[in-house]
Amino acid sequence: MKKMRKKNKILLIIALVIAAVSCKKEEYIFDQSPDERLNETLAGYQAALTSSPAGWKAVLQPALGGAYNFFFQFNNDNRVFMFADIDTATAHTKRESSYRLKALQQPSLIFDTYSYLHILADPDGSKNGGINGVGLASDFEFAFQSASEDSIVLIGRQNKTKLKLEKATQEELDAWQNGTWLNILNFLNIQKIEHYFKRLSLGGATYEIEVDPVSRLIKFQWISGGSLQTLTTGYFLNSQGLMLETPVVNGSQTIDRLAGFSWNNVTKTLQLTAAGTTGNITGATAPLRADTQAPRRWWQEGVTQDSYWYSRNGFRSSSSPDLFNMRSLNRYYYLVYWPVYGENGENDLFGPVFINSAEDGLELLYGAAPDIPTFTADGRIVFDNLGFYGPYPSTGPAYQSLQQLLIPEGYYLVQTASGYDMVSAADARTWISWVPTW
Amino acid sequence: MKQLLIIISFSFTVFSCQREDPLHVDDIPGLGGDTWVKTPLDQWLYDSITIPYNISIKYKWDQFELEINKTLVPPMEEKIIPAMRSLKKVWIEPYITEAGRVFFNKYSPKFFILAGSANWNIDGSVTLGTADDGRKVMLYELNEFRNKSMPGYTSADTGVLKQMFWVMEHEFTHILDQNVRRPVEFDAISAGFYTSDWINTSTMEARRDGVISAYALSRNYEDFAEMVSIMLTEGKSGFDAIVNSITETSIRGTTPEVAKARLRQKEQLVVNYFKDAWNIDFYSLQTRKRQAIVEEMY
Repeated sequence: MKKMRKKNKILLIIALVIAAVSCKKEEYIFDQSPDERLNETLAGYQAALTSSPAGWKAVLQPALGGAYNFFFQFNNDNRVFMFADIDTATAHTKRESSYRLKALQQPSLIFDTYSYLHILADPDGSKNGGINGVGLASDFEFAFQSASEDSIVLIGRQNKTKLKLEKATQEELDAWQNGTWLNILNFLNIQKIEHYFKRLSLGGATYEIEVDPVSRLIKFQWISGGSLQTLTTGYFLNSQGLMLETPVVNGSQTIDRLAGFSWNNVTKTLQLTAAGTTGNITGATAPLRADTQAPRRWWQEGVTQDSYWYSRNGFRSSSSPDLFNMRSLNRYYYLVYWPVYGENGENDLFGPVFINSAEDGLELLYGAAPDIPTFTADGRIVFDNLGFYGPYPSTGPAYQSLQQLLIPEGYYLVQTASGYDMVSAADARTWISWVPTW
Repeated sequence: MKQLLIIISFSFTVFSCQREDPLHVDDIPGLGGDTWVKTPLDQWLYDSITIPYNISIKYKWDQFELEINKTLVPPMEEKIIPAMRSLKKVWIEPYITEAGRVFFNKYSPKFFILAGSANWNIDGSVTLGTADDGRKVMLYELNEFRNKSMPGYTSADTGVLKQMFWVMEHEFTHILDQNVRRPVEFDAISAGFYTSDWINTSTMEARRDGVISAYALSRNYEDFAEMVSIMLTEGKSGFDAIVNSITETSIRGTTPEVAKARLRQKEQLVVNYFKDAWNIDFYSLQTRKRQAIVEEMY
């Protein structure tokens, strides 16, 4: 009997548990169902996006580098209007595209047709200077992180880039519309300077400048106390100009930003203001101070490795990445320079390498045999040709490249992250980027 | 016993509280698809593609329709109408003229997804179009789309155009093949040549074995789709030029004469198939298509 009661008690408990569990289904911790709350959240974000009369400003930092300014205006018809400081067009032409809010795993803002944001995320590296297949690893699908009266924080869903929208003022909107940003982007005209070396003259001081607009890095070189000083720093743009992350301090002169850009396309001169004065960036025919050992280092490295330097495009200029049209040669692969090629070590090799007809390897159809180069005391390398391997052409891209190589003035060599740039000492308007095979 | 009854009745009350109004459904966000304020572009697509051909075009970004592990971007809005106009002219209209609207609307893929960039593969190659089960077709690189009527058009742009037409013809051929099987004789011609190593074969090497493209080497039904799509996009004279370009013996020892004969045999089977299975005059269709392509490109 006692046993029976115990069994009933257990059953009662089970029934109560079932009752508790099954009835819980109808109870929400909040007043509304999850769907109702989600709809309310999305409506709230929609209202927030359209709440700023002068739109929103934001800085986007793609995973592969750089920091870009954006400006957005959202309306209630799924349309967004945009400016960006990517180039002179995006800085001045307001572009319309579409957006929508969607409940993915989190409430999300999707820029769902192509806009300036997508330029950075485009997998075609030629669109943004990034890597093919990845671009700059940026985003255009964002999850809402938080929203306050003045800002909305978004996190990219694919690459986790952060986009913090902040309410813009009418003045900030005007800065895009009336060309203030365009003026700052005029800085990019520095790439139109025809010389490899770019020289900034500023209040009696002289700097050599090198800009990498994709990574947004700038390199300053100047001479102080007889020795060469180098500073490579990141930069970003804002409505005040180009801001250096680390300022250049050269005696009494401190440069923390460059502004007031004006480009003269006739003289190829970029005027600017910095350190409280007006300066000019122009092309220079020689480096501020040549790396006198670089030519020998470059040549010797090939000898030591018993291999060659190559260049995909051959010689180039500021406007033409393949000056002599090497890529037009049938089955062309790259142009090479092989220090000490001959069996007796008497000469080098220069010429194009081709893909063979079976398409499974490379072959040399012909080549020039330059003498061991001359290294001058002022840091130039000078080439002289001794003869040929095979029937070297007497016209066309390969011929023109060889004629260029043999200019009597020779070349300066500048060591870079990927190899060496060999720059014409005649006028610094022609150069070639050598990459090692090892 | 009494206690047991209590428990049973208790359980009933428990279950009864699960009952709810079956007609009440929460307003689930996104249920029934995404919504947005329609623009003239949406209206054009609806009027010009969806209504006449029963094809839905999705151009707004939806990663889940594409490959989620790939970096892709959506298309530019201004490229969509020109691209769809070209597709209509080259792919749709010649089929309707030759075989009728009922035929086309019945067998055409029903769902198009558009992407702005190419689809980059790990090996550095790019995919310009893919299809799922004859229903969904993905077209990539819309942002590079330019035809003769657009400013800045150069002959280099024909690559993207041709690729788009080729993808459509290729996928549509698969659908036809799945409805009325290609002739078994077709499979026999290059039996023994099909290989998963097609990726390491050049187009020329494939042709020297009597196979129209490297991809056609992958399987007999891909060979069939490649034959049809290349014959339609290149036209009769273009196809003849391809056949006549075979002048060397292949690595596997196929002589140019044998390779050419194989391609001609396949050509004949394709023509017969279109006549027998679909009552379509293939050469007439080919002429119309090539004419439309020429008008788009040159």
